[in-house]
Amino acid sequence: MLKFQDLSNVINKLLEAKNASHSKVEFDFLVRGQFLRTSLSAHMETEGISTEEVVEIEYVERITAPEPEECMMHDDWISSVHADTEWILTGSYDKTARIWSVEGKAVMTVAGHTDVVKDVAWVKRDGLTAVLLTASLDQTVLLWEWNSERNKVKARHCCRGHTGSVDTVSADPTGLKVLTDEADEVEEPADRPRKKQKTQHLGLTRTPLMTLSGHNEAVSSVLWSDSEEVCSASWDHTIRLWDVETGTMKTTLTGSKVFNCISYSPLCRRLASGSSDRHIRLWDPRTKDGSLVLLSLTSHTGWVTAVKWAPSHEHQLVSGSLDNLVKLWDTRSCKAPLYDLAAHEDKVFCVDWTESELMLSGGADNKLYTYRYSACQTDAGA
Amino acid sequence: MEESSSNVLSSEKPGKMKRTKKRSKGKEEEQEEQVFNFNKPADEGDDDLSDSEDSVYSGLEDSGSDSEEGEEEEEESHGDDGEDDDDEDDAEGEQSQQLQTEEKKKGSEGEEEKKADEYEHDSSDEEDIRNTVGNIPMEWYKDFPHIGYDLDGKKIYKPIRNKDELDDFLDKMENPDYWRTVHDKQTESDIVLSDEQVELVKRLQRGQFGDVNFNEYQPSVEFFSNEVMLHPVTNRPADKRSFIPSLTEKEKVSKLVHAIKMGWIKPRRVEDDSRGRYYDLWATEDSSILAQHKMHLPAPKIPLPGHQESYNPPPEYLFTDEERTLWEQQDPSDRKLPFVPKKFSSLRQVPAFPRFIHERFERCLDLYLCPRQRKMRVNVNPEDLIPKLPKPKDLQPFPTTQSLVYRGHSSLVRSISVSPSGQWLASGSDDGSVRFWEVCSSRCMKTVQVGGAVKSIAWNPNPSVCLIAVALDTVVLILSPSLADKQVVSASERLLAGQQEEEPSEGAGPVWSEAEGEELNQGIRLKIQHPKAVHQVAWHAKGDYLASVMPDHSSHLQVFIHQLSRRRSQNPFRKNKGLVQCVSFHPVRPYFFVATQRSVRIYNLVKQEMTKKLQANSKWISSMAVHPGGDHVICGSYDCRLSWFDLDLSTKPYKMLRHHKKAVRGVAYHRSYPLFASASDDGSVIVCHGTVYNDLLQNPLIVPVKVLRGHVITHDLGVLDVTFHPTQPWIFSSGADATIRLFT
Repeated sequence: MLKFQDLSNVINKLLEAKNASHSKVEFDFLVRGQFLRTSLSAHMETEGISTEEVVEIEYVERITAPEPEECMMHDDWISSVHADTEWILTGSYDKTARIWSVEGKAVMTVAGHTDVVKDVAWVKRDGLTAVLLTASLDQTVLLWEWNSERNKVKARHCCRGHTGSVDTVSADPTGLKVLTDEADEVEEPADRPRKKQKTQHLGLTRTPLMTLSGHNEAVSSVLWSDSEEVCSASWDHTIRLWDVETGTMKTTLTGSKVFNCISYSPLCRRLASGSSDRHIRLWDPRTKDGSLVLLSLTSHTGWVTAVKWAPSHEHQLVSGSLDNLVKLWDTRSCKAPLYDLAAHEDKVFCVDWTESELMLSGGADNKLYTYRYSACQTDAGA
Repeated sequence: MEESSSNVLSSEKPGKMKRTKKRSKGKEEEQEEQVFNFNKPADEGDDDLSDSEDSVYSGLEDSGSDSEEGEEEEEESHGDDGEDDDDEDDAEGEQSQQLQTEEKKKGSEGEEEKKADEYEHDSSDEEDIRNTVGNIPMEWYKDFPHIGYDLDGKKIYKPIRNKDELDDFLDKMENPDYWRTVHDKQTESDIVLSDEQVELVKRLQRGQFGDVNFNEYQPSVEFFSNEVMLHPVTNRPADKRSFIPSLTEKEKVSKLVHAIKMGWIKPRRVEDDSRGRYYDLWATEDSSILAQHKMHLPAPKIPLPGHQESYNPPPEYLFTDEERTLWEQQDPSDRKLPFVPKKFSSLRQVPAFPRFIHERFERCLDLYLCPRQRKMRVNVNPEDLIPKLPKPKDLQPFPTTQSLVYRGHSSLVRSISVSPSGQWLASGSDDGSVRFWEVCSSRCMKTVQVGGAVKSIAWNPNPSVCLIAVALDTVVLILSPSLADKQVVSASERLLAGQQEEEPSEGAGPVWSEAEGEELNQGIRLKIQHPKAVHQVAWHAKGDYLASVMPDHSSHLQVFIHQLSRRRSQNPFRKNKGLVQCVSFHPVRPYFFVATQRSVRIYNLVKQEMTKKLQANSKWISSMAVHPGGDHVICGSYDCRLSWFDLDLSTKPYKMLRHHKKAVRGVAYHRSYPLFASASDDGSVIVCHGTVYNDLLQNPLIVPVKVLRGHVITHDLGVLDVTFHPTQPWIFSSGADATIRLFT
């Protein structure tokens, strides 16, 4: 029985023979795009690969376990997190947003909302000034300008127009437009479609540039999939894709449960959604029929509240759930997650990645954890 | 040995008999000549035959030859018989011998008798030659004076007979041997039979053998059998002719064959019985035919031709171009019509139908190939009669797992209510607080200390206002949690502040007052002071009216209906009909449901009369919920039952569910999904699927789908309240363990 540890030893030996200065590395092995998790023969049996065939096994350096790096204490539950290359922006239930350095130092507290901050987003940075957004239950989205050198924050605009609490906000990659989403319910009859609004920040108080209506219930998550396209997930069991230019709906992906969060990866062009039935589902947003689940990742035992694709790796994503767990997934090993990160003591509400090899997660235990992971991408064929 | 020898003898006997016959024939010829000669004397002979015995005897005695004749005569008659049966012949041979010996005794002995002695056993040659006329009917001689000729050719004259009838009679009377006297016609003499002879005659008459000593049942030795004997009876080699086909037969056969060939002989015709030679009584009652007739199913009829088949159909039946192309493209079996309707100006111009034969043929094929069958017996499995309940798996979605737990209360949570949007949840607890929770994160957003155990809490169902009614002690509080859009909040404030119309309070009526100070900051807006402890509050669907319940046996002041916009309260009932447990408004029509201990009364608020009274068949109703359609009501009772009423069906429960082990505390309908749930003191929530059909004939389908557990039983109390999320198939339950749980 050739286990992957043995395989790994074989590769190490070979590499040592070739290169004397080689240090021992753990490898993972891919058989036809699937991670080898058991012995080779058992894997081939379960995958239905004939033993008569030549099987190509790829080896990649093993993704080492993410190590907990920092724990940033908040005063209240952390509702959202968004990380930049240098700074981490968190929104909290104590009605403030905070800016942290990557090292875990509290840099700034942005206070101004009259209610819980539900979502935060970096808009753009030029030099020392950065523009950030906070969305709150008080039905406003505030646009802040933060000077990192002087460490001063100034509220630039207040975006009004929502008739309910603003649950999610997302900034255009170009940094010019803002997409917000409300979770409020009916302001009129119940069948009135929900709204999504896009604001251009020029004046002090902005009104929506455009309203995207179509959802029947609360919209839980929005994002820009590219500069022309907006994607929104809702409690009415649909994910909708919108054309921003015309404001029309392009595609509807229909699920069977409430969607809590979505994430889009430009690398693999897949949409990952977390829903209230414990599953993470991968969708292809370009399909027209709109109800095709490519893959289901099932390991959580509670609602999946947050899901995020890795910014630099097309197969990895991280998910957070109400079962207090953060899980790191690789789509090539869809049966089980790569790692379970059981740092939180309460519900996890948000997860994020930074470019600089950090994973972030925050939850109802008031703690924002950072984990360092190896972003090694030294794929080698065999 | 004797027998075998007698057999041998008898086999030779016929030959001798033939000879005697020939001889007698010769005699006959002679006699014929004599007939020619003596045709005259006929009747005289008869007379002669009735001669007296004496004379006969005398005659015999006169001439020994005469007596010999009689013997011979008898012998011969026996000989005739002997031709048929050898054995008998044989016996007669012996008998004749006996006769001869008898006659010897009588003393009449002749030469011939002595000769006969030489051939003691050869009786066949002995002929009665006293009269040589032979074996002829003796009446031929009846006209003659003689009866024959002796060996010398001299006439034998008839004895003189002078017996008349009288003599005969006297003889019959006097002669004891008369009965054994026989008349010999050949000799015209009377012979008295000896005892042996009489015995012999009797035996023969009985069909027995003449010889007394003969054992007719002697075991016989089968000589001539199919078995080839080692020592055969005759050692004679088989005849050559038995090997050679008979020439004569061949000739005959060839003749017959020729005749048949030539047609002269026809084979015998077999007569057919069918043509009524015999009448078959049962022919019409053939069971199979009868059965066929009984099971006969007429062939399905071809539908009558419609307008399309007409030679001049109305224009709407004619095909358009698309229809025609579609018709041509379709497979012949898929076509709606097997032909294209055509229009002709007159019937004369209709051409022959080209597919006529084909169509007839197909029709015949259809009739032939589709056996028509009648199913006589229907096997009904008793289990099939039980209505099939669908599997719970097929009835999804319904809540299955516990997702969130809302912790924060310090005492049992009596009541919960979800905001119409489904974003917020309000709960009232015995710890004197009302808490507002964010549904999706289980975050407690707000806590309002009301200063008393909250009995009931109800969120205003109108989405354009954001208000909550809280019942504690004797007060009903109206809270504005300001958890909605600012416009909504301000709208609800306006509603509360609208009318300040203070009615003259009628004695025991409730008192309205505005909250002040700290309470105002907490969100408490109005206080409605009741005369007694309030147990339940319920909103009307429009959100303006509020009903409160004060259970009391003694008073008719149990239910108040408050109008929020005008700050007015009224007591709709003048009489005390029992202890009111809970009330509810009809979701669309102006009806009001009042549940007392044992029954549910439905009042029409416009007409101010009772329209219906539902008998719950339970001892103590605890809770009630009205279906969003308004035609169905469920009641939970403290005796562990849940009863479903179909208001259109009956005043009795349509269905009773006894799934709970302990008292049912709360029941709820889902607003949009076909779900209802019941919460019980046994710590479980049972979710049932309850589809209500628009068709009035179809009863609701009720299937229990899930038991949800999670609450811990504290102080013998389990789940106290249950409510559904307004849009999702989720259910909230609040328990005595101070938690609220969300099941999804």
